[in-house]
Amino acid sequence: MEPILDSLGGWLMRTDIGLGLLLVVGLSMSLSHVFALLANRLSARQILLRLLLDALILSLAFLLSTSIDMVLLSLYASNPVHPSDFINGVAACLLPACFYVCVAAPYIGETIGLGIWVLLHLNVVTYVHVRFALPWEQALLLCSPGYLFAVLLVGLLFRQSWQRGYTMLASELGDA
Amino acid sequence: MSASHAAASQRFNLRLLLLVLAIGIGVNVVGVGHLLLGLRRVLSPADLALLLRFSGVLLLVLIPAAGIFSLVNQFAFWEGWLEGLPRAEQLFAGSADAGASYRCYVVYLDGIHQLERDHPPRVSAFLEALEQRLQRDTLLVRGLETYTVMPVALAEDAGSAWFWRRLFALQEQHPNLLVQLLAAIFVQGNNVIKVGISSDRRYGPILNYELALKICLRLAEVGFRPDCGSRIALVGYSGGAEMAMGVADYLRRISRVPVSIISFCGVFSGNQLVSSVDGITTIVGSRDPVAAFGRIAYPGRSPLLPLSNWNKAVARGFIDRREIAGMNHNGNSGPFSDAFRLPVITEILAALERSAAAPAQRDC
Repeated sequence: MEPILDSLGGWLMRTDIGLGLLLVVGLSMSLSHVFALLANRLSARQILLRLLLDALILSLAFLLSTSIDMVLLSLYASNPVHPSDFINGVAACLLPACFYVCVAAPYIGETIGLGIWVLLHLNVVTYVHVRFALPWEQALLLCSPGYLFAVLLVGLLFRQSWQRGYTMLASELGDA
Repeated sequence: MSASHAAASQRFNLRLLLLVLAIGIGVNVVGVGHLLLGLRRVLSPADLALLLRFSGVLLLVLIPAAGIFSLVNQFAFWEGWLEGLPRAEQLFAGSADAGASYRCYVVYLDGIHQLERDHPPRVSAFLEALEQRLQRDTLLVRGLETYTVMPVALAEDAGSAWFWRRLFALQEQHPNLLVQLLAAIFVQGNNVIKVGISSDRRYGPILNYELALKICLRLAEVGFRPDCGSRIALVGYSGGAEMAMGVADYLRRISRVPVSIISFCGVFSGNQLVSSVDGITTIVGSRDPVAAFGRIAYPGRSPLLPLSNWNKAVARGFIDRREIAGMNHNGNSGPFSDAFRLPVITEILAALERSAAAPAQRDC
């Protein structure tokens, strides 16, 4: 047990930047919905709880999508890579998502969100292309499943949590 | 003689302003060029590129930040922190024993140039001409602050009054034309953000509901009663058209009377729920680039999205579009100009008559 815990500890220490960035990205994405939740008159405790929970789920979604990229790279491109190095590299590619809080801006928010999502994918594809010397098409092919998985998870969270919040407000006012 | 002199003077001022702007831009380009040359001596090209990128990111953050800040006031009012958010069911309680009630209330919502309760002189002249031609049982409700949540002008807006007062002072008193112009752009930028909030599906409901309450308060002041068989027509110019579209459904629910919309030179998103409105007439100028830009800027009005609220209403033949040849968005060929004032008023009156003649289509 001790060697396993030691290696896990060592891995976590090597990945501290990557994991930290993933958390910041998750928090930024979660923050972008706080204003809409506030509009729904949720209490401060509810908003804080939802903010933290959503941030963790989003970070996890990106961690899983990175893991998928890593597994595909090892399986199909025969490029084994240390998980901590890969996560650190990919997390740097996710830096634009730190600005995801700007999606809270009225009307232009959705366009900003779309731009950031496209930029994230381009960054990861470029990183894989440069870091592993893979052709562009192969890099795109290997990175797309993980990206689509992340989009799917975020979409599910959006549908389950935030979208319900917006509809609640609209229906509440509609009954006014 | 004096009118032609005034027009000539106005044209001269406009040309002078354009000349000053062109010179200003030229000076700025030269200045920026020199600044870049100076910076190149101090910074390497890589540092310079980094600085430019940093400035771009700063701009990318500042614009959404302005939008988000603008939301704060809406939320403060919505949450009841500012006090004054009335309860919808109590709005017309005080007007039960009011005096004469009109058959139609025409509510004018101004464009993004609106700074205060009083409209600019050209708009006031337009509204006076419209008022004179309205039927006796129709009342024009004007001077409504379209872009503030509270029933106050921008200079008295809670939380940001100090900022707007300083900006207005700069706009009116600063000797530099460029500073005056920048201040005017800032004010209009605030109103553009409000139009953006109104069309946003996340925050739009709050702003539109608050504006509907404000309109109802004003209607109650002028003696409107929901049980008198009256109707409401919202007349919106430019960005006021978006506010009219956003507010119409809430206004119909709160006032319990049919609501119709008449827009002229309207810039609107097409996101709003308009199926329950009693009719929409859009009066557009054939040479209006701003309204044409609205059709491109708002995807909800693009034919590529046939399921958008606007396109569904168009498909059902719910929208009456009237075009005035040669009319621009503003200025000497705009709807408030001497040349186009009467044609626009005639179209508005015709739309009001059509709306009065047609039976209320919706359950109110």
